[in-house]
Amino acid sequence: MTLELTDLEACFEGVVPSIISTADADGIPNISYLSHVVMVDDRHVALSNQFFAKTAANIRLNPQATLLLVDGRNGLQFRLALVFAYALEAGPLFEHTSLQLDASSAQVGMTGIMKLRNLDVFRVTKIEPIRSPVETTESLAPKRNRLAGVARIVEAIAAETEADRIVDVMLESIRTEFCFEHALLLQFYEERNQLVTIGSLGFQPSGIGSDVPLGEGVIGAAAASGRLVKVSDMSRVRRFGAAIRDSALSENRTRSIPLPGMPDAMSQIAVPLVAGGTVRGVLFLESRERRAFTAEDEVALSIVARQAAVALALGEKLSLETGSHRVAPAEHPASEQMIRVVHHSFDDSVFVDGDYVIKGIAGRLLVSMLEQHLANGTLEFTNREIRLDAALKLPEFKDNLETRLLLLRRRLDEKQLPIRLVRLGRGRIGIRIEGRLRLRKDMA
Amino acid sequence: MQIIGTSGLALKPEIGRGAGAWCDDLKIVHVVVSAWQWPQTIANLRDNAQVAVTFARPTDYVSYQIKGMATVREAVAAEIERSSRYMVAIVSTLMRLGLMPEMITPWLTKREAMLVSIEPSSIFVQTPGPTAGTRIWNSAQ
Repeated sequence: MTLELTDLEACFEGVVPSIISTADADGIPNISYLSHVVMVDDRHVALSNQFFAKTAANIRLNPQATLLLVDGRNGLQFRLALVFAYALEAGPLFEHTSLQLDASSAQVGMTGIMKLRNLDVFRVTKIEPIRSPVETTESLAPKRNRLAGVARIVEAIAAETEADRIVDVMLESIRTEFCFEHALLLQFYEERNQLVTIGSLGFQPSGIGSDVPLGEGVIGAAAASGRLVKVSDMSRVRRFGAAIRDSALSENRTRSIPLPGMPDAMSQIAVPLVAGGTVRGVLFLESRERRAFTAEDEVALSIVARQAAVALALGEKLSLETGSHRVAPAEHPASEQMIRVVHHSFDDSVFVDGDYVIKGIAGRLLVSMLEQHLANGTLEFTNREIRLDAALKLPEFKDNLETRLLLLRRRLDEKQLPIRLVRLGRGRIGIRIEGRLRLRKDMA
Repeated sequence: MQIIGTSGLALKPEIGRGAGAWCDDLKIVHVVVSAWQWPQTIANLRDNAQVAVTFARPTDYVSYQIKGMATVREAVAAEIERSSRYMVAIVSTLMRLGLMPEMITPWLTKREAMLVSIEPSSIFVQTPGPTAGTRIWNSAQ
């Protein structure tokens, strides 16, 4: 069987370091361990060569090299005969590799130390397996039809117009089609310079409303750069922020919701949602398996994320047109119980009966709806009205009304509060208040 | 862990792994290499004797590279036994670092074990980092 570079995908995940051998013009050999080997296309590989000046010098005098790659699943070794082709100091491939290197350096506390200076690109002239003294049961990567799966996910997303359905259909179909069990969808909110979780799959608690600063961790890095970031083996990575806490008590004190995460995750991938040339959010997945996300998954998830970004942007536009009115009987409060809502204006955080709900623009939107209800009994709003109202009161508010309402609705549901939002059809939202409302504004 | 670099006809570089190493009287470094698994490495050494061996500590990648000239002969029973002890030790070490034993066993064999004996001409720091490639000793000193 002739081996192709694409058969060696599991060798490029960085689980076992690759090694390169070169020789100078006098035939004196040199060995270097490589931090990163990247498959450029089916005939070329690129090596990051941060520290090894001797290798770089040798290949300029004698362009031949031999690379030893190890399959991260079963330890099988492969020898690649290479010829030096060219060096790269910029461009998409360089940036992609640089970002991966930055992300993995940050994970091991070496931010900035492993800076990528250049990439040497080699043509692969021969691939041979190294004889193994043991039989390995695991063969080459099983063929999965990711393309058909992507088509089904994209079709399901394209059938939806409302933000909550788009988000749920995407996460749910990623689970059924790709068998990934843990995912988050985060929307980028420019005024906070943060990504906020609006969709969650497989995490308990869901982490809806949790935030990540732009540029922080794999999620923040994917959003800041607009490029996919992947970590394939976190076995030696000490994770932070995943400590199990009493999240409700901690939320009430810190007014921030912990980002959910698996304490024993081995692989993570963060895929930017890009539409109209702008990063609108990040799709994040994690897994307990090493190398859970293949190069094919990267492509598949990128297509899904872009489709979701377009669908969310279109949904936002469509929500300004008010659709037909669904049945929405305006009920009288079924309960006489007092509901105490407190709004802290310094961060727009809102507490209902002492429970932290949300802060920022979503908090202001909730308070504004409650004020209108108290003033004139309003129980229904159109997105158009809310948007106009928000635009007057919130100069920093620009976009993403639908996802902010989605976030708010999900937080109220998750906390099982006596105030809920319900969708009444395209561009319409209703508020349900199970009790007597008392709103206090804390200006301090 | 030991990685062996050699070069063959038309300066073609080659890679092989060692299966245990030690030194005699601080002058000669011996490495056991399987001719069954790394035939080209052994052929190159017989042809021109030029060698570079990197010794890496798996826990932290502290590494040194020795360059010099090597002789090759079949390993004797005591040397093969020493190689076997190394294999047990390196599997234990790598397992403590989270690698499964089945990942490591394809790299280590004593089939057609040869003893590669190296007279160093220079030694370099090879630990990834700013000092990588610094020469710390040469035979002219």
